[in-house]
Amino acid sequence: MTRLAEIIAGGALGDRVWLYSNYHCNLACTYCLTDSAPSSPRRALSAEAMVTVARQAEELGFAAVGVTGGEPFLRPDMAETLAAMAAVLPTVVLSNATLFGGERIDQLRPLADLDVAVQVSLDRVEASANDELRAPGNHARVVEAIPRLVAAGIRVRIGTTLDPDAEVSDAEQARLCALHRSLGVSDEDHVVRPVVRRGRAATFDMGVQATVADLPPELTITSDGAFWSPFGPTVRDGRLDTDLLVTRTTDPLFIPASALARLVDARPPGGDARLGIR
Amino acid sequence: MTQSPGITGTEVSTTGQGAGAGPTWDSGRALVGLLGDAQAPLLARPFYADGDPGAIVAALAQVPELLEVTAPFLGAVLGPSAVPTRTKEMVILRTSAQASCRYCVEAHTVVALDAGLSVTEVKALRGEVDAATVFPDPDDQAVIGWCDALVDTGPVGPGAKAALRACFADHEVVELTLLVTTTLLLNRFCTALELPTSADVLVRLDAEGLR
Repeated sequence: MTRLAEIIAGGALGDRVWLYSNYHCNLACTYCLTDSAPSSPRRALSAEAMVTVARQAEELGFAAVGVTGGEPFLRPDMAETLAAMAAVLPTVVLSNATLFGGERIDQLRPLADLDVAVQVSLDRVEASANDELRAPGNHARVVEAIPRLVAAGIRVRIGTTLDPDAEVSDAEQARLCALHRSLGVSDEDHVVRPVVRRGRAATFDMGVQATVADLPPELTITSDGAFWSPFGPTVRDGRLDTDLLVTRTTDPLFIPASALARLVDARPPGGDARLGIR
Repeated sequence: MTQSPGITGTEVSTTGQGAGAGPTWDSGRALVGLLGDAQAPLLARPFYADGDPGAIVAALAQVPELLEVTAPFLGAVLGPSAVPTRTKEMVILRTSAQASCRYCVEAHTVVALDAGLSVTEVKALRGEVDAATVFPDPDDQAVIGWCDALVDTGPVGPGAKAALRACFADHEVVELTLLVTTTLLLNRFCTALELPTSADVLVRLDAEGLR
């Protein structure tokens, strides 16, 4: 076993490789890490590059891949690309689930037979509170889309991102969990994390500060290079942050993976990520 | 890490800044973004540990995997070695002047002065006064001739080769040649990227009447 594979297997380096498929989005959420909006530069990875990352990740000892953006499903080739990636490694794709109406859901049906999960963003149980930071009508679209995905046989996860200053009560969280259960999503498929003060969230003075010491290392590939974690390739006022950049080289994947492993190895004992933000 | 792995003799010694000091150059003048401390990529951070690493490192930080191999190489070639510092600074300044690299000439004018070269010698290396008159020593003349020969393209002339061989051992010839050619690499890099000279270097140049 290579040293890289040992570090992955030992848990010091996350076993999932993340890919930013594109940076543009049909929404422009207030806390978006990547300052994404419809007019954002796409910074897209090619489908071929994404599948290559999955193949090389599997060879290096990684156990899963994740796709995020931007909104990945703005790309017409996303379902097909996910299928090709999932043939290699279990795959999760993060989505705002606002594009799954009509015939679009049919494009996703082949994913039902593969190890693919769609992680949908749903932050608050109340539509008004949810939509305030995301977009008008977002809550309704998501609540409508999730059962369609579930009915299509696709595994759905829910990602809840909370502003630490929002003072969300336990009772409200319990109601959110009741909602996702009613939509067919189990507790184990519900992820809750804080807004991180990077990207547009920093512009709006929101979220928790997170340095490299706070973020679990998870190799993240973008068209701009490889980063420490999916919270690394953030964009603020149109400028890419480079403070969590590892390498510009992404192919072969061994180069950024081994560089990240060296950084992980160089951390002092007890230097594990403190916040565990996922 | 207790010692900055910056480029010895090129930038760290000329900025004279302590840990935590910000850059003193105007990054807006460069062709590419010069990464300051807050945006330093992870592999680049050791190079910022002692403060402003200089414009060359700040540019190379855009590609951190290249910075982490290039900066130590440059430090080894340009920094202290078997060839005396005075001779090395003569090479760097002469080559940079012959290659018309504004950034390197300005930065290494200051380093050359700190290495013990006089203002007149610096002017001679910069081509502003006659070098043969200012540097009568055959070793110095051979070094200057070697720089001038290598800046030109094509084969190196027999005169420059003979003069150098008469004054220096094999290992010194190798090192001087690597120093000239590495300086040429930097000359083109800095010129192409329009790297800005740090403010403290400009102040020193003004004080010495060498700007």
